[in-house]
Formats: sequence, structure tokens, C-alpha cells
Amino acid sequence: MIDVNAVHKALQDLDIAVIDTLVNDYLAQGIPAETILNEGLIGAMSITGRQFKAKEVWVPDVLLAARNMHSGVAILKPILLEVQSSSRGVIVIGTVQGDIHDIGKNIVAVLMEGSGFEVIDLGVNVSTDGFLEAIEKHQPDVLGLSALLTTTMLEMKDVIASIRSNSRDKVPKLIVGGAPVTREFADEIGADGYGEDAIAGVEVTLQLLGK
Amino acid sequence: MSETKADLSPRRRFLAGLLGGRKGRRISVASPTSIISIELMDKVGVHFPEAHLDARQMAELAAGGYEVLGFDTIMPQFSVQQEAAALGCEVDWGNPRMMPDAKTHPVKSISDVVIPENILEKPSLKVVLEAISILRREYGHRVAILGKVMGPWTICYHMVGVQNFLLMTSTEPETVKRLLDMYKEVTVAFANAQLQAGADAVVLPDHATGDLVSPQAYQDFLVPVHREMLGRIGGPTILHICGNCADRLHIFAEEAYDGYHFEWSVDTREAVKVVNGRISLVGNINNAQCLLRGTPEDVYQQARYAIEAGVDILAPECAVPLQTPIDNLKAIVTAAEDGY
Repeated sequence: MIDVNAVHKALQDLDIAVIDTLVNDYLAQGIPAETILNEGLIGAMSITGRQFKAKEVWVPDVLLAARNMHSGVAILKPILLEVQSSSRGVIVIGTVQGDIHDIGKNIVAVLMEGSGFEVIDLGVNVSTDGFLEAIEKHQPDVLGLSALLTTTMLEMKDVIASIRSNSRDKVPKLIVGGAPVTREFADEIGADGYGEDAIAGVEVTLQLLGK
Repeated sequence: MSETKADLSPRRRFLAGLLGGRKGRRISVASPTSIISIELMDKVGVHFPEAHLDARQMAELAAGGYEVLGFDTIMPQFSVQQEAAALGCEVDWGNPRMMPDAKTHPVKSISDVVIPENILEKPSLKVVLEAISILRREYGHRVAILGKVMGPWTICYHMVGVQNFLLMTSTEPETVKRLLDMYKEVTVAFANAQLQAGADAVVLPDHATGDLVSPQAYQDFLVPVHREMLGRIGGPTILHICGNCADRLHIFAEEAYDGYHFEWSVDTREAVKVVNGRISLVGNINNAQCLLRGTPEDVYQQARYAIEAGVDILAPECAVPLQTPIDNLKAIVTAAEDGY
């Protein structure tokens, strides 16, 4: 039996070995890797997400949880790949040109990966051409754009306009996020989805893909 | 007896607003953070990145804030990377459409910290000191000259990387305290050098913001360091922390800052109530929705709201987006000119 509260506690532990031991224990009990991922790690991360929204925990706590979750997912990944024929979908993600902030984007990437997506992280300061090339190369289901600065959020508009006019074949679902970004802004620039935080970003992605 | 009393000069107006002194006919309008836009660069004929690296061009572009926009202050340090460059970060100085950014974060542990003895001679700091001297000579009789120096928390963001540093506040709190203690020396030295060069006051950005860390983290890590710094910085000091800091305003008000530069997400009336005159409030016209994407009328309305709420000095909430229209920046001054 997965004890989500125990997993949640392990995600908060400074010692990364605690989550590794717990995940290995669950595997030794015969619990399927997918259950450990969904009910354990993702379930526990959702608790952290709710606590973050309620201002009970802060970015350092979320970063710690993301670091620990990453470690737990790394144990499960080889097993998951054996039983799953394919991932839930491919996501390309990056921070737009002129912006080198990546905390929010990195947390989204960890959660997306944890939720079973294949994540291709283009990093920061990614040009419109960089996004266009990545779409052609990886044929993602979703493209995520991030910006922290009011000075760079306008860049998202150009990227989205270029993708919509340049893509010859399948246009991925386009989602945006970042501190200054609002739902109105997302609608205005023609994004398909908006997440006000990392957890919401994963939820909106699952909805857009009908998962 | 004349019907209207004499107006204060921009410099007196700003200093009175900051230090809780006499009120003139109208509120002061200041630039604690960059008010440079592409349009202003074109108008002055000086652009980024040259204006970050050459004292004369830095001074000329900064003076545009007074000459073109009509603000009461001139603030020449537009970027937040001058200290990082002097401390060993590789900085991309950007272009007219992009602010400078640190490309490397060389500090992985305490042993990587190097504070050069002659740090004030490093080009990225020297340029600011020279620009302040030029501005003092040319505008000091009339306009307030504002210095700006990153606090140790923000310096750590650049030197260690934001993500690593924030994680470190959980995993290695003692290391964080040592880093802050070391870098505060740079902040104090640069602040006092700016005051000596002719700054009327310094802005102290130190981003322990409500969007990232808890009020407790600010209290535990930064308050003791800031207390020491405020005892050693010899001129008026304005704390700048953007993001929603409503939950820690009462702590700021208890400390010895002269002013706090705050953003729109903190309601002005609420802020005035909490601070209750203990420090001066500088702010808080919204950047993204209002200054960047709104009309001059939107800006005017927000500025009037801030004046009527009782803010001490009007200013944009943070460094304005480079695409901000000049007419929107001027609308802040128009709102101020309509008096209290």
C-alpha cells in the first residue's frame, strides 16, 4: 500500500536517500511502478503544489521536492519503459529569447516527466527559430513557453504567431506560463492553454491531450 | 502674499518625500529602477549596451529620465549585473531590446568566492561611479541623483544561480549565511562609493520576494545582514523587493530603511496602512498591464489612485519593459502635476 503522506514527507527530506529507499521498498513489496509513480510521487507532489498555492511552502521547498522526485522517477523509469509501449506524449519546453530564468520551467519539466511525458527541454533564451526547429525535429504534442520578465513575455506572442504561420504539418498544442503571464494575455496571444503554476500546467496539458 | 507657494525643486521634492519632510505642491516622481525604453534611447541618441559600459553615455541616457520624461531623479545603473560582472560572472551586455544577463554562475561552494581587493576599480562598477560624478556636476543643483547597489541576496542569485541558491537555503543554510556575510561587504563598499561620488540616496534591491521565499526566510537570513549594512551605509537607502511582499511589509517597516519601493500586486492603501509612516513608500504603477500595454489615461488613473492612497513618491513598480511607450511614462508625471 502506498502511503502518500510518507512519500510527501520523503519529498521534503534534505536527504535524497530517503525517497530512494521508500521507492525501492514499494517495488520490493510488489507494487507496480506505475502505481508508485501516480499514487505516490505525483500524488505527493500535488500535495506540495496545494501547499505552495496556500503559501504554506515556498519555492525552496518545491525545488527540494522536485529534486527528490527526480531521483525517485529515475529509479522507476527503466521499469516503466519495459511495461509501457510509449510515453503519454512528447513535450518541448523552453524559456523565450531574452529571458534566462528557468526555475518555473524546470519545475514544470520535472512534473511533466514525472507524469509520464517525454520532455525535451530546450533551456533558456530560445529563439523563435530554435522553437521552430525543435517542432520539426521532435514533432511534439505540446510546446510549452516560459517567461519571467514583463520585458520578455511579449516574445511569446511572436513565437506563437510564427509557429501558427510556419508549421507545415501538425501544430502542437501551445501552452504558456510564467510570473507575469495571465489567462487574458494567453488568450490574447493565441495560446491553447495557460497554467498559473507548474501543477496547473500539467493539468491543462492532460486536458488538452484528452488524457 | 502670492497666491501659490513656490514649488520645490525636483531634488528637494524627492528628498522631502523620501525622508518624511515637508510637502510641496505635488508628489515627487522617481526612478528607483530603470525607466529606460527603446523610445527613450532613440530620443536621447544613446543605446544599450553602450550605456552600461561607458560613463558619459550612461549619464546622458540616465539624464533623459529628467530631461525627456520629467522625473525628479536621475538613476544611471540600469542593469542588475554590474556587481556580478565585477565579481567574476560572464555577462552578456545585451542590446537595445534586451537587458544584460549573467551567463555563468561561478560559485559552487564558499571556496569559489573571490572578492577582488580593488573591486571599485573594476570597469562595471567604475563606470557607475563616474556616471554619478558627471551627473552630480551637471544636475546636482536641481535633480536628485540616485545610486543603486545590489544587496547580497541578489548578488548570490547571480553568483550561485537562482535555483541553486534557493535550494541551498533549505539544504545548506549555514553556507547561505556565510555567502551573504561575504557579499554584503561589496554592497556596503559600492553604496558608500556611490554616495561619495555624489548620489543623494541609494536603492538596495535584494530580492527575497514573496514570490519565492517565506517571510521567515527574509527575517532569518537577511534582516541581521541588512541591519549591519544600514548601520554602515552613510546615506538614505531605499529597499527594493519586487513581487508580492504584502506578507512582510510589517517587517520592512520595523527596519531602518528610509523607503521601500514596491509593486502593484501589493495594494497601495493596504501598504500605506501597514507601514503607517514608519518608512516612505515608493511605487507602484503596474508595468505589464498598465505602463506597457495600457494607455496614458490608464497610467494617469493608477497614479492618481496611488497618490490618493497616500504613497510618498510615485514610481513604476520595477524596471520598465523596454517597449514601454514614452507617453505612458510621461503620464505618471502628468498625474503628479495635478497636485495632492
